[in-house]
Amino acid sequence: MLIYAALGTFSLAFLLIVFDVFDKALIAMLGALVMIILRIITPEEAIAAISFETILLLLAMMTLVNIASKSGIFNWISVKIASLTKGNPLAIFLLFSFLTAVSSAFLDNVTTVILIVPLTIELVKGMGKDPKPYIFAEMMFSDMGGALTLIGDPSNILIGGASGLSFMQFIQNLWIPILFSSILTAVAFVVVFWKKLKPISKDLGELFVANVIIERIKHRYLRKTLHKDFVIKVVIALLITMLGFFFQEYIGLPNYVIAFTAAVILGIVTSKRVNIVHTLESVEWTTLLFFSGLFIMVAGVEKTGILFKLSEWISNSTTDITYLSLMILWISGGVSMVLNNVPFITVMLPVIASIQLSFGEQDSTMLWWALSMGTCLGGNATIVGSSANVVSVDLAHKEGVHISFLEYLKFSLPLTIGVLSICSAYIILKLN
Amino acid sequence: MSTKSNVLSSLFRDIESDIGTREMSLLILRALKDSLKALSVENIDEFLSQMKELAEDVSNTEPKFGVLNYNLSILLGVMEDCMKSKKCDRHKIVKCLINKIDEIVKSCHEEKNNLIANSGQIDVEGKTILMHDHSHTVWDVLCNLKRSGKHFKVVIAEQDFDKTHSNIEKMHAANIPFQVVPSYMLSHIHESIDMAFFGAVTLKDTMHFVMDPGSFSVISEFHVDQVPAYVFIETKKFSFWKSKKRSEIFIHHHKRSHHSQPIEYDRIKYSHDRVPAHFFTKIVTDQGIYTPKTLKDFFDKRLSKLESGAGREN
Repeated sequence: MLIYAALGTFSLAFLLIVFDVFDKALIAMLGALVMIILRIITPEEAIAAISFETILLLLAMMTLVNIASKSGIFNWISVKIASLTKGNPLAIFLLFSFLTAVSSAFLDNVTTVILIVPLTIELVKGMGKDPKPYIFAEMMFSDMGGALTLIGDPSNILIGGASGLSFMQFIQNLWIPILFSSILTAVAFVVVFWKKLKPISKDLGELFVANVIIERIKHRYLRKTLHKDFVIKVVIALLITMLGFFFQEYIGLPNYVIAFTAAVILGIVTSKRVNIVHTLESVEWTTLLFFSGLFIMVAGVEKTGILFKLSEWISNSTTDITYLSLMILWISGGVSMVLNNVPFITVMLPVIASIQLSFGEQDSTMLWWALSMGTCLGGNATIVGSSANVVSVDLAHKEGVHISFLEYLKFSLPLTIGVLSICSAYIILKLN
Repeated sequence: MSTKSNVLSSLFRDIESDIGTREMSLLILRALKDSLKALSVENIDEFLSQMKELAEDVSNTEPKFGVLNYNLSILLGVMEDCMKSKKCDRHKIVKCLINKIDEIVKSCHEEKNNLIANSGQIDVEGKTILMHDHSHTVWDVLCNLKRSGKHFKVVIAEQDFDKTHSNIEKMHAANIPFQVVPSYMLSHIHESIDMAFFGAVTLKDTMHFVMDPGSFSVISEFHVDQVPAYVFIETKKFSFWKSKKRSEIFIHHHKRSHHSQPIEYDRIKYSHDRVPAHFFTKIVTDQGIYTPKTLKDFFDKRLSKLESGAGREN
């Protein structure tokens, strides 16, 4: 009976999240409460089920990025890059895509698109050009950049929390497929959208409009004076955080402690300029509650033993880790294309941990990388596949650029299949 | 109007509303300089044709910005002079144009300083000055008067949220005492206002100033009570050029919803106002201070000089 209650609650919550009936945080919290009220899980077990490492890492990074963005340094960098392009569409495309990927890897991809997409639209739309190819590229590169590091994408934060894999292990194991996927994506964009991206250096009128817009953007975004001391503190805090992540294995402290230390110290040293109450109001509490609710619901389902049976079934179906990794890559990729990947990944975490146990001494970390690549890169195929894509489409809509599901899909789907094929080749080569 | 003129119209309107006409003209000169540096057209006839096309597009924007037309006509003249030289090539032309742009920018600063110096003749001691529009020239004039030790206070007529807040920020930064009154409540304070300061985008050959929206009603309201009104404008902003379409005012029709009822209605917004010059007591320029009558004489002389020289574009 408990199995049906647990599965019923989880499935209903899952459907409500997928179809966006209510705010996803409310659904996840309600699902968690129903599981506690129905005695599927005790309140103590519910608290223990929440991965506070993951929640605290997200909270710390959100706080750190919020304080850092108030210094104006991110806008300053974006505007300087816009100036470097001199209005050349190909340069705008390449530099902004690169900036999106790097920024998504080391900040987080949602913050990145919030900063970059409006700027791109203003620049490109103002030039009288169609901003869609640029937005599409930024959506894809934000997910690819985010896939590279432990902190770049919520999926990776969840995987990092469950697997114990370090920041450096993420980069060491994922940089090759991400690099080749990025090259494939950039080349595909340039070829398909060449007419829209080709240089305008022979047209004075177009150059003039582009440079007027760049000057306006410079004026608009750089109007606020950058306070040198604030910027220096932010840069030092971000550098220390990154160095902490890189050398985490030597420091021996968890990632969330490193990020939290940086956020708290930055909050203290910038307290004259940044109101911490307002900063904490900007933290995405709904995301944190959503994750907490999901952890509890999955623990409820796990307690019924059904996830163990699922992992047992998967382990028994094959002993070939290459085959299993490819299966996880494509299933998670396929699911992430159409569904919010966070509930899926939360279910997969205990399943993969359990499968790993059945492999004993054999190195099975590739299963985690397959899950990471599948969920982060598979989400690229549709506008609802990742948080960064959903936010980008909303931002574009606010700026009067309407991106339809099919319009994006006809370009992104073949490209995502190509990217997942690159990941498959990487898995095969790495394991054989 | 060509597509390029449409794009430029919308762009210029936004920039002018944001930073004022003079700053806009400097911004556009910087953009033109960067564009010339990046241009890779080798054939100088094609280069000239593209410059002419750009000048044409700029002259046909809505509204028309006199200062931009003026600057581009100077640059076209420089380019044509440069092309007369036998050893002329694209690099030399670009160099000549960039030097001229630098000269124009320098002269722009000089003209601004002259205008500010001329405004020092206005007696503002102990007076209350009304400001309404978002004019950087008026800001500069008030800040300079304050720096020179004059004591006065300002009443900011509240209008568009962003523009009003820019005015507030500027007065606060310059330590000028100020109060804010909604534009539609000004009738209650007529007696306490000694003079009103305005800026303008351009002066048309019809002797109408193109100004921020809402200016006309404020000026006419104070004109009835014979409160002295001053407009500050550089002579470079005077419009001696005729666009193909004579419409300085951009009309923006859009739909709006009632905040609480399911009612949708048409809303119309206008980009600028056209205000007759005779509504002003004095017109303060970089060339001196004029009354509406002497301004007309000055304008006509300048126009006939241009027509007899370079000729007037049609």
